[in-house]
Amino acid sequence: MDFDDTWHPATHPSGAVLPALIALSEAFPQKKKISGLDLLLAFNVGIEVQGRLLHFSREARNIPRRFHPPAVVGTMGSAAACAKLLALDQLECKNALAIAASYAGAPLANAATQIKPLHIGNAAKNGLEAACLALQGLQGNKQILDMESGMGAFYTDYNPQTLPTLQSYPWLLDQQDVAIKRFPAHLATHWVADAASSVRRKLVESSESLLPIDKIEKVILKVPEVKYVNRPSPASEHEARHSFQFVACSALLDGSMSVQSFSSENIDRPALRELLCKTQLEHPPDNTPSFDSLYCQVSVTLRDSSTISDRCTTFYGHWRKPLEKEDLEKKFQSNVLNILPTESMEGIIETVYNLEKVEDCSVLSTFLSGQSASTSREAALPLSVPANSYVLFTKSMQNSGQTLA
Amino acid sequence: MSPTVRQRSKRMILDSIGVGLVGSTTPVFDIALRYCRLYSSVAVSSVYGKPGVKLSPTLAAFTNGVATHSMDFDDTWHPATHPSGAILPALLAASQMLPPNTKPNGLDFLLAFNVGLEVQGRLMHFSTEAHDIPKRFHPPSVVGTLGSAAATAKLLSLSSAQCCHALGIAASLAGAPMANAATQAKPLHVGNATRLGLEAALLAGRGMEANPLILDDIPGCSGFSAFYSVYQPKPLSAPGEHHEFLLEKQDIAFKRFPAHLGMHWVVDAALSVRNLFINYAGSFSPSLIRTIMLKIPVSKYINRPFPSSEHQARHSFQFNACAALLDGEVGLGSFSESSIHRQELRELLDKVVVEHPEDNVANFDKMYGEVALLLHSGDVLTGKCDTFYGHWRKPLSKESLLKKFRSNASHVLPEEKIEAIITLVDNLENLSDSSQLACTSGAPTTSLQEKFLHQQHIPNT
Repeated sequence: MDFDDTWHPATHPSGAVLPALIALSEAFPQKKKISGLDLLLAFNVGIEVQGRLLHFSREARNIPRRFHPPAVVGTMGSAAACAKLLALDQLECKNALAIAASYAGAPLANAATQIKPLHIGNAAKNGLEAACLALQGLQGNKQILDMESGMGAFYTDYNPQTLPTLQSYPWLLDQQDVAIKRFPAHLATHWVADAASSVRRKLVESSESLLPIDKIEKVILKVPEVKYVNRPSPASEHEARHSFQFVACSALLDGSMSVQSFSSENIDRPALRELLCKTQLEHPPDNTPSFDSLYCQVSVTLRDSSTISDRCTTFYGHWRKPLEKEDLEKKFQSNVLNILPTESMEGIIETVYNLEKVEDCSVLSTFLSGQSASTSREAALPLSVPANSYVLFTKSMQNSGQTLA
Repeated sequence: MSPTVRQRSKRMILDSIGVGLVGSTTPVFDIALRYCRLYSSVAVSSVYGKPGVKLSPTLAAFTNGVATHSMDFDDTWHPATHPSGAILPALLAASQMLPPNTKPNGLDFLLAFNVGLEVQGRLMHFSTEAHDIPKRFHPPSVVGTLGSAAATAKLLSLSSAQCCHALGIAASLAGAPMANAATQAKPLHVGNATRLGLEAALLAGRGMEANPLILDDIPGCSGFSAFYSVYQPKPLSAPGEHHEFLLEKQDIAFKRFPAHLGMHWVVDAALSVRNLFINYAGSFSPSLIRTIMLKIPVSKYINRPFPSSEHQARHSFQFNACAALLDGEVGLGSFSESSIHRQELRELLDKVVVEHPEDNVANFDKMYGEVALLLHSGDVLTGKCDTFYGHWRKPLSKESLLKKFRSNASHVLPEEKIEAIITLVDNLENLSDSSQLACTSGAPTTSLQEKFLHQQHIPNT
């Protein structure tokens, strides 16, 4: 749904890493527990690797045009995170990254289609596969991060740097937070939504009143030039999530955006279609296509020639204005509402907040599967881990005659 | 991890779980889940050289694709790619996946194979860059993936809209950088190309949709053009009754030994100068040689003065020239550990000097290989090869091709099976059930599997 987090330089970091880690943690044999701290650390390794790679290219600072970043750096992050969780040695970690590079990359043109979510799914899956192959002894090019024909293949200006020493290593997440979305659409539309909601408040007295569409002559959106989010008349939910115009008009009509804004009834509403016809985009030269510096201005001109405008430079949820704890939880609760029982929902919140202290992070999986807290504490997990999952974690012994357990 | 890092990352974990959960209510998720459950858990497809072993179709395709490219022994086309390894495993796996009453016949299979080849060729013709030995992305991982999607879509009789989406999906699964060539990971490129193309077709068959314009060049938002710096797609005429396949005009090269195609020129040149040298000196006497001069095109990933692994050796002009000089031939055994590290070979490698004449272009249609022996006596002996035996300009004879096949297959199959495969392929158009080709090394499916296949595997057309 394009509801997941976004970082700067631009990628969707968590979706490429977390599913691989959770899946992997469930595959460990019963007696080899993974603690919450292990999980948290592996997660952060996966995020950090993505950030560091993005920093090797200036091109990466802008909204992408060629490859979809999660498919590039996300695959590498997943491989790194899984390699960490699997406690691969240094050589194996290098190979995991080298192998992962051969799985990386998907073109941007599939954004705004149904296939875009697969970019993240595949990033997570392929990174995990790369780590498992490395564990089995597969080797790749250990200089792949340095080479133009390696990671450099995905950028026109790839310029890798040595990283700070491990002695006092500064995590990128310390200096640069992520943006968390309030509604499921491309990040750039969040500026538009905030500006449009604000304009609407100036146009109508109370939030219950309908927007006087007849009185509107035109709607002008001043946005950065981002081709794949410029859709005057989206026809599907995936296109609507990648449309400045659609989000502006929805926010003007409804006052705010939500998951329901993208239902097919809402996409096809006559009132919305009418407003879309009156909407145009402008690309001021000072509006750079970077999530760190872009702005959106919504101007509604009425038939009496008066104009009501608002500009948003930092939307609520952006890293400069992070969501409050209550609002983050509200988003989570609203997402999970009809999918998991309340107990599981609260169990997940509590477990994640105290992750470093959790002894066995398989409780997270138990909650995710909807089991109640009491059964999770009994930890009846061995049933879900067949004996030959051992195979995943036993290296091929080349010199000894030892077969897999 | 500092408190900030912990706090931020935990917020991310929570949000990520939440959006994943709500995301599980979407149609795209349904398709992905159904796909994973249906096609990943049923082991119906055979694996090369392992009778009795069956894997899910995509993993069988993967494994067989890896096998195909594992020794760099597979075919090469012009413009450059390894076309067959990227499509055949997917077709074999898919043919075993289909229920008994809808098995494609040999002609369907052969046609699907050719569709896969044609798509790869046509895509490469959209980029002048593709005509030269690659530098950035390994072509099988780019065009091979789409070729596999096209071939499988054809075999599965997807509708034209679904075929379009299969290609669009495949584009998002394409692309591996060159730097893993000459490593153990390179065969994964072909394995993944064939696996992911199959996956794309299966997903499209289940209703997944991608960008129908993915092959067009749209500035500001790259589709397939992402993989090239110069990409100029042209409209193709609709295939009428007289569609001419690219394979008609442009044949393939088959390798005589398991190494990168470029090596074949220097080996033939080296063998030629070796003969001259033996006539000159009575026997091959390395001590008479002062310098070995190689005239080769510029291509970083096959220029390796001292390869240390089998994968590197297969991608080294220097190594292949010296092995040919020393042994009088290059074959499977040339790339074993002991062979690579031989003292005599190392001594020869020490004498090698490389030159890149301007007229020697890094292009499989135009390059040449020249090996000159500069002797201590002052004499110079030269061998040059413009077209090696096996190149499309000088194709392997039927006998040579069969000899290669029998030699390769005899490592794992008994003679009857080997001859059976030869006969099957020779008469492919007349075969009523092409899954027999895949089955020749495996056991027939059990009735339980057949029943499951019948219920589950028909794509939604």
